[in-house]
Amino acid sequence: MNDLQIHSKITSMEIDVLQALHQRTLEKYTAGPSIDRARLFFLLLPFFDGKQWSDDMEDSAKTVAIVYAALHAHDQVEEDSPISKSQQLTVLAGDFYSGIYYQMLSNSNNIKLIQLLASGIIGVSEKKASLYEKTIMPVAGIESAAEVIETELLKVFYDYYGCSQYSAIAKPALEYVYFSNQLDSFRNGVETKILRKLNLALPLPLYSERWLLDKLDSLHSELTKVLDVHPMDFNLKNFMLHQITPHQHLAEQLTREG
Amino acid sequence: MEKVKLKLLYSELRPELDKIEKELEVAVGSNSLLLNEASLHLLQAGGKRIRPVFVLLAGKFGDYNVDVMKQVAVPLELIHMASLVHDDVIDDSEMRRGQTTVKAQWNNSVAMYTGDFILARALEYITVIEDPKIHDILSKTMIEVCRGEIIQIEDKYKLDQTVRDYLRRIKRKTALLISSSCELGATVSGTDAETAARLRRFGYFIGMSFQITDDILDFTSSDEELGKPAGSDFIQGNITLPVLFARKDPLIYGRLKEAVGKDMTDSERKEIVELIRTSPALEEAKSLSDQYLNKALKELMLLPKGNANKTMRNIALFIGKRKF
Repeated sequence: MNDLQIHSKITSMEIDVLQALHQRTLEKYTAGPSIDRARLFFLLLPFFDGKQWSDDMEDSAKTVAIVYAALHAHDQVEEDSPISKSQQLTVLAGDFYSGIYYQMLSNSNNIKLIQLLASGIIGVSEKKASLYEKTIMPVAGIESAAEVIETELLKVFYDYYGCSQYSAIAKPALEYVYFSNQLDSFRNGVETKILRKLNLALPLPLYSERWLLDKLDSLHSELTKVLDVHPMDFNLKNFMLHQITPHQHLAEQLTREG
Repeated sequence: MEKVKLKLLYSELRPELDKIEKELEVAVGSNSLLLNEASLHLLQAGGKRIRPVFVLLAGKFGDYNVDVMKQVAVPLELIHMASLVHDDVIDDSEMRRGQTTVKAQWNNSVAMYTGDFILARALEYITVIEDPKIHDILSKTMIEVCRGEIIQIEDKYKLDQTVRDYLRRIKRKTALLISSSCELGATVSGTDAETAARLRRFGYFIGMSFQITDDILDFTSSDEELGKPAGSDFIQGNITLPVLFARKDPLIYGRLKEAVGKDMTDSERKEIVELIRTSPALEEAKSLSDQYLNKALKELMLLPKGNANKTMRNIALFIGKRKF
């Protein structure tokens, strides 16, 4: 499968998800559903890798993307400021998207997956809330929170469809994207919950940038190692390394031999 | 006091409701200290538990088993709780049921995650039931309730909306969840389709009457009784039935038009409340509420007689007469 085909499949799924979540008022007043293309790539990874792929899997993959959109909408609600119309509707957007994913899975009689995703959402919500606890969170706690927030629901999807082997690839890649966004926020002077916790966990706030750079190197190296031994198509590996997690700090090129 | 009176009406359900209360406590337990605290805070603020009550009562028309009924009653109350914690963010509310809200005690984000957590617990809980009909009813209800709230925000400050707009909104916002509580209780206890449909309609009519009464009480109750200033709905831009009826008077309409969406002083608020109170609008709204109530009672008359029927009738009558 070449890059164009991969992009095209991701776009097609993105359109389907956006159509499922279409709601006139929400579209007018909110930023709309956030459909992360990197996440769609990983939801589709078994398909790209030539594993058995059914309509049921494709529909479930869409619902997982919808769950992420629901949770993401609620991340966009500002902590303390008086709430505007757009923010009020952002609250409702998250709830509306949750209703849609529940309805889609119940229509396909996929009750077990609803339950597993609900358990996953509980874990994600607990980790997100933990970032607001007043205690200082050790760096390991921050890493664990990021891992659960970014990968838990994808893991549920992989496990449910017997594709657990992809978790080892998705974990470093999605965490890479996550911490890379944190680094951008740090450099742009934008405070995030993770950065706030990181600044408190490290001896000096200035160390945060160094820590993030080291983390990105380590995640990239972890990803490269996993891919090196995975019997996946070279183009697919290359797509992942260069289009999903382009490493701008210590870029390592994957060779055909590797 | 009113809440106590209402609870007395279904005191025969006390043992089952205690069981459900304990189950709710377990359900909101979390590995996160913060979510644990926030969810318990919400749970301990209490509530009428009217949705579990309707689930249980509807179940009495079928093959009643409390351990099966609670699989529906607990998640329905959890869904209601999750919507309340999010509603407090939407309405920027500091207090609910005499307690600080989660958003006031912590912040908007914690309230969002608390609501997400509780909603997920509800789905985790209800999916022990495999009957697709249950999930079909509940998922549709969740979506429609959200649509109702979205429309409510869209319709804010719109004085020229129709009574039909209002009714459609409260159907989704309030009546559907009560209606679904009755239908789910009936379905899970295996009643026949006609009984389930009657109970669903009963819940719908009661829900409509309940919300109209709530909207009347926003003007007729004292600030102390409401726990917030009378006329708060209007201040927040929610155009309710009493306002829609009152605007028929051109003088009142003019005054409402001047006031809607503006920062009102306390004396202006009191003046608006007084205008509505002294207009025929409250009587008209009460009459419509009674029409829904009568429809609910008619449905009950066609259902098998018994204790559950009697309790539902008493609750219906109480809703029609409640003072706050």
